[in-house]
Amino acid sequence: MEHETLPQPLDTALRQRVLDAIAVLLPRVLDAETLVIAPEMKLMSDLGMRSASMLELLLELEDNLDIQIDVEDIDETAMTSVGDLADFVASHAVTDS
Amino acid sequence: MTTLETVACYLPDKRVPVEDVAGQLGLTSMQTRLFRRYLGLAEIRLDPGGTLLDLLSAAIWRLSGLRGREHLVHYVLYARVMPVVAPYPVNPLRDLCRTFGLGHAVSFTVTHHACATGLLAVDLAGRLLAEDGDPDALALVLTGEKTFTRDARLVPGTSIFGEAAAACLVGSDGPADRVLSYAASIRGEFDGRLDELPDMAARFEKEYPASLAEAISAAAAQAGVSVGELSLILPHNVNALSWQRLCRRIGFPVGRVLLDNVPVIGHAFCADSFINYATAVDRGLLRPGDRYLIAAAGLGATFSAMVVEH
Repeated sequence: MEHETLPQPLDTALRQRVLDAIAVLLPRVLDAETLVIAPEMKLMSDLGMRSASMLELLLELEDNLDIQIDVEDIDETAMTSVGDLADFVASHAVTDS
Repeated sequence: MTTLETVACYLPDKRVPVEDVAGQLGLTSMQTRLFRRYLGLAEIRLDPGGTLLDLLSAAIWRLSGLRGREHLVHYVLYARVMPVVAPYPVNPLRDLCRTFGLGHAVSFTVTHHACATGLLAVDLAGRLLAEDGDPDALALVLTGEKTFTRDARLVPGTSIFGEAAAACLVGSDGPADRVLSYAASIRGEFDGRLDELPDMAARFEKEYPASLAEAISAAAAQAGVSVGELSLILPHNVNALSWQRLCRRIGFPVGRVLLDNVPVIGHAFCADSFINYATAVDRGLLRPGDRYLIAAAGLGATFSAMVVEH
């Protein structure tokens, strides 16, 4: 089975689903169940995320949203906030072909 | 000029899925899955019943270029990550030298560049040979380690170590692969346990790609080639994803980075460079005159690269 990245414009509906899922999943990944997630929160400085926890979150999102994410394109220096992460996921969904 | 005369490798027969290793280490389901799904690691090799001596011996036995030339080996360098691998006074390196007729050689261990120590050892071997006075003198560089502690099995969220060994005969002349340059950047500010120092770990993650890219650029510049002119990059096998991202950063085709061993061997400490070299030669990926680069990064931290002409 091969995969290909969809060169798609930002899917706003998917982006909102991603944001909703992050709000539920990220506290679990960070083992901070009471954490309230907002799109403007900084991944590293506000939430203390690292590369490994980022990948864990992406796995959770794949499972939860039934998508696959092409992580080769991740530029963590350009992706600073929760909203940036949602943008990335919504524009890097991978479908089976 | 330093030359890589011949390289031999040993991969233990036992293949262990990364999921089995992760299970033994108590990783969560998600921590486990990301190794295969994102990092490109699938299985490692282990020799559970073998000692360090067995592991390194198996590589030397395969080094056909050594037979009959033992008397020319003036130096034996064991490049490793772990500072301690045997209880005093056990000395596997001296035992090896005696076993293989190298008892006359000056032998010592090289560490402190972590997984980049193999390149340091090649450079050091070349410097020793250049000052030796005997143009036929050789040095033997050994790599390979046992995964005997948790730290020797796992870099959390990044890599899983496997057992394998390599032996490289280094010379100073002759028709062999010629070392054109060596660049190493030592970043002592990253010395410490990443799992206990989150701020340092975050800085290390942020600076890792640029630092390795700088080492690659520096080695290429010293060799008088552009990065794009390199025929191949032989990576350390920490994981595939970090190399995919680095290639995007430096504009180098990921298809010219030999990542094929990452899923089937894992990260074999300092032996990765030599194992990947052997794979490149076996598959005919290097033609005479090709200039290729060997790159490695070590926790602590060291970023190294070496340009070699085939």
